Amino acid sequence: MLEIRDVRVNYGNDTVLNGVDLTLATGETLAIIGESGTGKTTLGLSIMRLTEGKVEGTINLDGKDITTLSEKEMQRIRWNRVAMVFQNVNNVLNPVHTVLDQVSEPIIEHKLKSKDEARRKARELLSYFGLPQNRFSAYPHQLSGGEQQRVLLAMALSNDPGLLILDEPLSSLDVTTREELGDLLRQIDRNRAQLVITHDFDTASRLSDRIAVLYGGKIVETGPTQEVLRCPRHPYTRALVRAYPNMTTVKDLQGIKGRMTRPVSGCPFHPRCTQAIDICSREMPQLALGEGRGVACHRGGIITLLSTVNLSKSFDLLKAVDSVSLHIEAGEILALVGQSGSGKTTLAKTIIGLYQPSGGSLYFEGKQIVSRGKDFYRRVQMIFQNPGESLSHRLSVLESVMEPLEIQSIGDQEYRKGKAIQTIEEVELPRTDDFLNKYPHHLSGGEMQRVAIARALALDPDLLIADEPTSFLDASVSAKILKLLLNLQEHRGLSMIYITHDIAAARKVSDRLAVMLDGRIIEVGASNEIVTAPRQDYTRRLLSSASILSRIERL
Amino acid sequence: MHIDLKKELKQSSLGRIGMTILLLMIAVAILAPVLSRYDPTQQTAASLVSPSLSHWLGTNHVGQDIWSQLLYGARISLLVGFGVGTLSLILSIFFGLSAAIIGGLYGRIVMRIVDALIVIPMVIAVILVAAYVRPDVLVLIFLLSLLSWQGGARVIRAQALALKEKGHVKASLTFGAGRFYVARRHILPELTPILLVEFIYGVRRAVFVEAGLAFLGIGDPMLISWGTMMHDAMRFTYLNVWQWWLVPAGVALSLTIIGLTFISYATESVLDPRLRGEAVA
Amino acid sequence: MLKRQNLVTYIIALIFILALNFALPRMMPGDPLMAIYGDEALIAMTPELKAQLVERFALGKPLWEQFGAYFLALFQGDMGYSYYYNAPVLKIILSSLPWTLLIVGSSLLISTFLGMILGIESGWRRGSKTDRTMLTGLMSLNGFPDFFLGMVLLIIFGVILGICPLAGALTPYSGLSGLSLVLDVLKHMALPVAALTLAHLAGSYLLTRNTMISVLKAPFMLTARAKGLSQNALKYRHAGRNSMLPVVTMTGIWMGRVVIGALFVELVFAYPGVGQLTYQALLCRDYPIIQGVFLIVTISVLLANFAVDLLYTRLDPRVIHAY
Repeated sequence: MLEIRDVRVNYGNDTVLNGVDLTLATGETLAIIGESGTGKTTLGLSIMRLTEGKVEGTINLDGKDITTLSEKEMQRIRWNRVAMVFQNVNNVLNPVHTVLDQVSEPIIEHKLKSKDEARRKARELLSYFGLPQNRFSAYPHQLSGGEQQRVLLAMALSNDPGLLILDEPLSSLDVTTREELGDLLRQIDRNRAQLVITHDFDTASRLSDRIAVLYGGKIVETGPTQEVLRCPRHPYTRALVRAYPNMTTVKDLQGIKGRMTRPVSGCPFHPRCTQAIDICSREMPQLALGEGRGVACHRGGIITLLSTVNLSKSFDLLKAVDSVSLHIEAGEILALVGQSGSGKTTLAKTIIGLYQPSGGSLYFEGKQIVSRGKDFYRRVQMIFQNPGESLSHRLSVLESVMEPLEIQSIGDQEYRKGKAIQTIEEVELPRTDDFLNKYPHHLSGGEMQRVAIARALALDPDLLIADEPTSFLDASVSAKILKLLLNLQEHRGLSMIYITHDIAAARKVSDRLAVMLDGRIIEVGASNEIVTAPRQDYTRRLLSSASILSRIERL
Repeated sequence: MHIDLKKELKQSSLGRIGMTILLLMIAVAILAPVLSRYDPTQQTAASLVSPSLSHWLGTNHVGQDIWSQLLYGARISLLVGFGVGTLSLILSIFFGLSAAIIGGLYGRIVMRIVDALIVIPMVIAVILVAAYVRPDVLVLIFLLSLLSWQGGARVIRAQALALKEKGHVKASLTFGAGRFYVARRHILPELTPILLVEFIYGVRRAVFVEAGLAFLGIGDPMLISWGTMMHDAMRFTYLNVWQWWLVPAGVALSLTIIGLTFISYATESVLDPRLRGEAVA
Repeated sequence: MLKRQNLVTYIIALIFILALNFALPRMMPGDPLMAIYGDEALIAMTPELKAQLVERFALGKPLWEQFGAYFLALFQGDMGYSYYYNAPVLKIILSSLPWTLLIVGSSLLISTFLGMILGIESGWRRGSKTDRTMLTGLMSLNGFPDFFLGMVLLIIFGVILGICPLAGALTPYSGLSGLSLVLDVLKHMALPVAALTLAHLAGSYLLTRNTMISVLKAPFMLTARAKGLSQNALKYRHAGRNSMLPVVTMTGIWMGRVVIGALFVELVFAYPGVGQLTYQALLCRDYPIIQGVFLIVTISVLLANFAVDLLYTRLDPRVIHAY
């Protein structure tokens, strides 16, 4: 019904939309998600040819390309075939005409009905959207925000358009109105197509069947709404979901590093991406469609960084790790939860190579790892439980952090020192000579662990394996280390395997969670799903015995 | 918002035209004795003589040289115009600013009086007074100013009230500044653009009114202004004299007012953010 | 200048006017009666009449008693007596007033509406050649005083072309009636009304144009465009309707200006309205007439302003709400 191909819109030197492709079928509701400045409103306006910018590309409405139509022809199409519900700002309705007049006006102007019939229809529409009868002759400024939104909705439907564009239809409303209008909107899309433009996932989730994510003037991901929100494939979509306060996810909020800029070439998201490679800064990725979902990414969406297939490790007769198949994606924190003796530390050490696996295989970025060389260790690093032991008491802070760089012969001494100091700052430690020359036994537990983290980061790894990094630390210090790890993920786009026995902490930090018992993974999935709807008994027991602060019975 | 007044005005084409005209008129007024040969009030030839080399615009019904009258007339118009403009502005600032700063009962009373006086048409009141008191130039300036400061006072008060609420003004108060310091240091300078606009308005209106009153025959009988010229010329419209008597006076007057109008438009456009960025002005 | 006045303000203004009217003659040096009636009128009066008038105006008594007497007289419709016309002042003024009202009303109506339409069209095309020409043109026109415009029109159309009458409101001694009378009146008022209209056109034009410019930027204009409405609907029903409001508020002020302008224009065209009356009265110092004119004109302007205020509240829904 609506087909948009390679649409570009620019205002002078400013390119707002940079090659957008979309399709919309009758009866479908598509949500366009984007933050401010991404051009989503411009997209809506260009479909109605109301932008002031220059529009290139094809916009096919019911098979006819409307970019080629004259203004007069457009006037006939507007409101009759495609109508827009504008953002509900002050003065979006004309202050000197009653709302009834404004709703019946387009019907009369386009000569669809007589004046009386038009007014009757207008009344019906206003009632349908819940505007009380006595407000029909009111002027816009006399209505509340919710009432104005109802008027805008009724007005958009006055000429029965085939395509309805809604710009932030629910954002200015209170909860009850939001629900009510949301339901109404879902009901009316039988033989209509709807395009919902919003920055709000709740709106998108409520109203749409499919979703398209807009970033930097391009669509970066499309797919069925619920699927995309549950399991995003593009790094930006995932980051957006992580940044969005909602009742579904349990992890702490995280931002996206950097700011929205428009890079000269390549993928618009690459300066902020967790898995950017060389080609990303050169070429623009195209939207690749498959199985009803589309991603615009040179790497085909979020990649799997590490995966194990039936990995096992036995010590004589004890199967410490029993046929573990796990994967961890780029930019993701996977929590590995289990009690002591479950085999989690063994698994970690097997992955990093401190133990040789007894069976199964390990893959890094799709390639099988047989032997681990320096290259492997540049990409995967580990943080141990006891910082007092993992740091040599003979090496100063600076020397400890520089050690990996020396081993890997990276740069010259100058460079190594600079890099080490950089990572030391990153973990929020002072860079004074005084501190840098300190020895571990002069540091507190938290400081030592930070040094260990800095050391692990010196090589700029992609994957960090953190084995119970806070078990030797006090609660207040642990909290800071956890936050540090989250910040590091946000800034560096790290992936992490976070090993812990504490499921309460795990859910605050992780995207996915795996529960380990007796060497086997008994349950794995999105953290919020596992924590709210566990399938295994053991998981349930873990949850119920997890720390609860308040034991006051809620009646 | 920081507006560079001078720069913006220079860019306005209408503003430049207006300024040119005004400066021309001022030059004419100042250089009148140089540019003309005769005393405008003396009879120098026969009545109603056509333009000739000795009398560029001929003579009027009493034999006075019209060209001289035209040039010296500029003096009257501009004198009254700027005189009233200045005095009116001073009164506007005084009452408007004080009403805003002092506020309270005083402010309310002043504004009531202002609102009441605004409705009364200036010219009629002057006619009434003039019937009794034959005004000379100074009295006229004084009288006109008395009747025209109200509009400006209203605008100034409104602006001053808005400025009073601004952050940097309130900050001064927290430093212990008194109300009058605030008025002098913070409010008055910010008002400069508005004051300029009001001043130009005032001058324009005064030039207009002075001409009108002279046209009615009210005004200093000793002085010949453009209005007086038109008043005298009116009786002779059926003769050809209008070409060189009525028209030059009328045109000179109109030109002056147009110049002031253009300047006024240019200054207003600069101040009104809605109108900025226009192709014309 | 968009403040609404309320009744108290008008009453204060009224008091000012009455006070001025009252005080001025009585502040003049010399015999107050002479100041009120003019010395030449006084010559024509008999001593008994003088005594009567002194009694009536309570001259010689304390000021506030005088004001009381003055006010009382006014209330009874007594505005004095003109010795030149040999009739009560009120009657004389009322016989001239209709002519003035005719040309004032017509030009006010035409200039306001024409100005609004030109302003809407100009604002719609802001920056274009049409807009710039209209702007410059109308502002220049605005610079011409109405009496000069009148004289120019008179010379061109009256003297040179001869298609319009040179003076008066009616052709004298013609005894016309019905349609021919109407045509005669129209012929005579054409030039005065033209002069007044042209001189005051710029006011409503400029205001409408400027309001139009900001209205066009409002969100509801985009909404209206999206509805696929015709250009005219956008221009007039949506933008125009919003641009009209400031004009209404200013109408009161403009009316004052047009009335004053009419006084001058009547002079030029020897139109038998209040302006002519005033001029003659000034020449022969017929003070009662001058005072009467002052009173009537100012009070009329006051009433008109008041009426406009009431009208505005009915036009702007946002103001209705405030009531």
